[in-house]
Amino acid sequence: MLEIKNLRVKLADEDKLILSGFSLEVPKGQVHAIMGPNGSGKSTLAYVLAGRAGYEVTDGQVLWNGEDLLAMAPDERAAKGVFLAFQYPMEIPGVATMTFLRTALNAVRRKRGQKELTTPEFFKRVREEAKGLGIADDILKRPLNVGFSGGEKKRMEILQMAVLEPTLCVLDETDSGLDIDAMRIVSEGVNKLRSKDRAMLVITHYQRLLEYIVPDKVHVMAGGRIRKSGGKELALELEKTGYAEFKSKALESA
Amino acid sequence: MTVTLTRTKVEQALSHSFEAVAANLPGGRAVAEARKAAIGAFAALGLPHRRIEQWKYTDLRSALKEALSPAIGGGTPKASTTEIDGALEELAELDAHRMVFVDGLHAPELSTPGAIQGLEITSLAAALKSGDRAGNGLFRESAAGQEAVIALNTAFMTDGAVVRLAAGAKLDKPLLLVFARTATEGRLVTTRNVLELGNGARATVIEAHVALRGAAPGQANTLSDVSLGDGARLAHVKCTLAGEAASHLATWLVTLGKVATYHAFHLTAGTGLARNNVFATLKGEGAKLDISGSFLGRGAEHIDTTLVVDHAVPHCESRELFKGVLADRAHGVFQGKVIVRPDAQKSDGKQMAQVLMLSEDAEFDSKPELEIHADDVVCGHGSTAAEIDEDLLFYMRARGIPVAEARALLIESFIVEAIEKVEDERVREALAGMATRRLAKLSTSRAQVGNASD
Repeated sequence: MLEIKNLRVKLADEDKLILSGFSLEVPKGQVHAIMGPNGSGKSTLAYVLAGRAGYEVTDGQVLWNGEDLLAMAPDERAAKGVFLAFQYPMEIPGVATMTFLRTALNAVRRKRGQKELTTPEFFKRVREEAKGLGIADDILKRPLNVGFSGGEKKRMEILQMAVLEPTLCVLDETDSGLDIDAMRIVSEGVNKLRSKDRAMLVITHYQRLLEYIVPDKVHVMAGGRIRKSGGKELALELEKTGYAEFKSKALESA
Repeated sequence: MTVTLTRTKVEQALSHSFEAVAANLPGGRAVAEARKAAIGAFAALGLPHRRIEQWKYTDLRSALKEALSPAIGGGTPKASTTEIDGALEELAELDAHRMVFVDGLHAPELSTPGAIQGLEITSLAAALKSGDRAGNGLFRESAAGQEAVIALNTAFMTDGAVVRLAAGAKLDKPLLLVFARTATEGRLVTTRNVLELGNGARATVIEAHVALRGAAPGQANTLSDVSLGDGARLAHVKCTLAGEAASHLATWLVTLGKVATYHAFHLTAGTGLARNNVFATLKGEGAKLDISGSFLGRGAEHIDTTLVVDHAVPHCESRELFKGVLADRAHGVFQGKVIVRPDAQKSDGKQMAQVLMLSEDAEFDSKPELEIHADDVVCGHGSTAAEIDEDLLFYMRARGIPVAEARALLIESFIVEAIEKVEDERVREALAGMATRRLAKLSTSRAQVGNASD
């Protein structure tokens, strides 16, 4: 279970709080969606969970299966099952996608006390997952994300997620820049990974994605914390009313 | 007004050394005369220093603290193939013809040159003694700024490879020229190679400048005189691992005939002071030149790459790509000059130098220079110096890759773009292996710092 308790976060070199007492619990087996307007702190939440530098946690706690996530380095978090699908996946020139995947998988398997995969096992595994996501073999030989289209990059994030077998998946605006076909493929990839052992946090601006990845709960975030929680129907409601109500709420409390 | 420069101790000592060894240097009277003229020219020029434009960042007058006594042989060189192989690292496994020089002298017992139709291969010492044409025109004055270094090379050269490939001939496998330093006392080792490819000839030649375990740091001055006939194709690789406290001055003089292709690569690492100076002249229309390289510096190492590419005729192409990684207090220098002569229309020249700085104390000086006298040309240059991208590092760590490994992979991926220019797969893999091992050393010190701050 992911437990976020009263989390307060600011940029290291600024005073303004981006997360202002954010609390959330996501039990294993559930998918929670976080929706909110631009600037509500959604991406900061994702980065803080993954351990990006540059943020300062001034208060609060994040526990993953009872362990203090904030005390761990990013790679340790990954070994503990945390995976962030980036809104803007990085291009890594000179590192073939296969090499990258293999280095990452072997690193987390070593940390998890699992045996490294043999070369044939590894290739078989990646090719199977790639096929399901409509990723061609020749893309796997190319440097990671270099020259990939927006859709290819997002599919590559999901491929990494499938290969690394995380237990806490955080998807940051995975739908941005995707057309309907790509969104369907990506969503199918995500849905395949839903399981009773896995918690997922789907961050999105639009309701659209949640037609494909149907969440157990929807939370509306504004001004750095959750303003309203509900079932999947909350997303539809937001589609009609927009975020105006929450934005003003956030302003009042600021 | 005449300014009389005071000669430094080192400069004086070099002139004295010459007097002492001249009689023992190979060659007949004409060669001896050329040597004498060269040392005379050196006495007038002195060592290059920072007020000479081409040596602004590499001041030999202050860097060379002592004049080591020249290695001129006498006594049998003490090296075994096993020791040489150890110093050659991955290159030792390459299936290649081999010609070995130990402390500047040909070691036939360690060499395995092949007998190939159209290939003439001999040692420079033998060629100079026999009055071969290799002994003609020894002292070139055309290489601006490099005259003093070439003069010293001419005065002191003891040996080297003379390789001639007849028109249409093709080397079946790479020719590996090994220059190994073994002396337990520091020596000045001076070598010169002559590579001549006839029209349409093809070859891969690798120069490896290495130090055997236990060898004292020395000084090297090496020159390669390369000429490519029409349509000839040479892949020329230089691997310089001369030793942390060693100095290494290299001059390559290259001329290309019509539609000739010259594809060169330099790997420079683990060398206290290195200056690789290439002067290439595109003399025949349609000639193509591609020089790339990787340099890895740590400690107080100083690595200077200076290229002068002269487009003398129309329709030629030149490409230069150098990538460096600098750690600790290492100092990298890249100077690239492209000259386009008035008649050389449709010249196409591109140049890029990129450096990854692993330390705030490292320094990189880059000086591109275009001297264009024709109006219908495409020429460009660029240069960057950057640190490891923290966002990339975070992305990799978020995937579970530990920081040291992520850093090493990023550094390796940076350098690989240059190494990939090497066309021969086996040579490329050997060089990549050698570079990777050294990169691991470069990235360790910083990785430890990174871990501590987590």
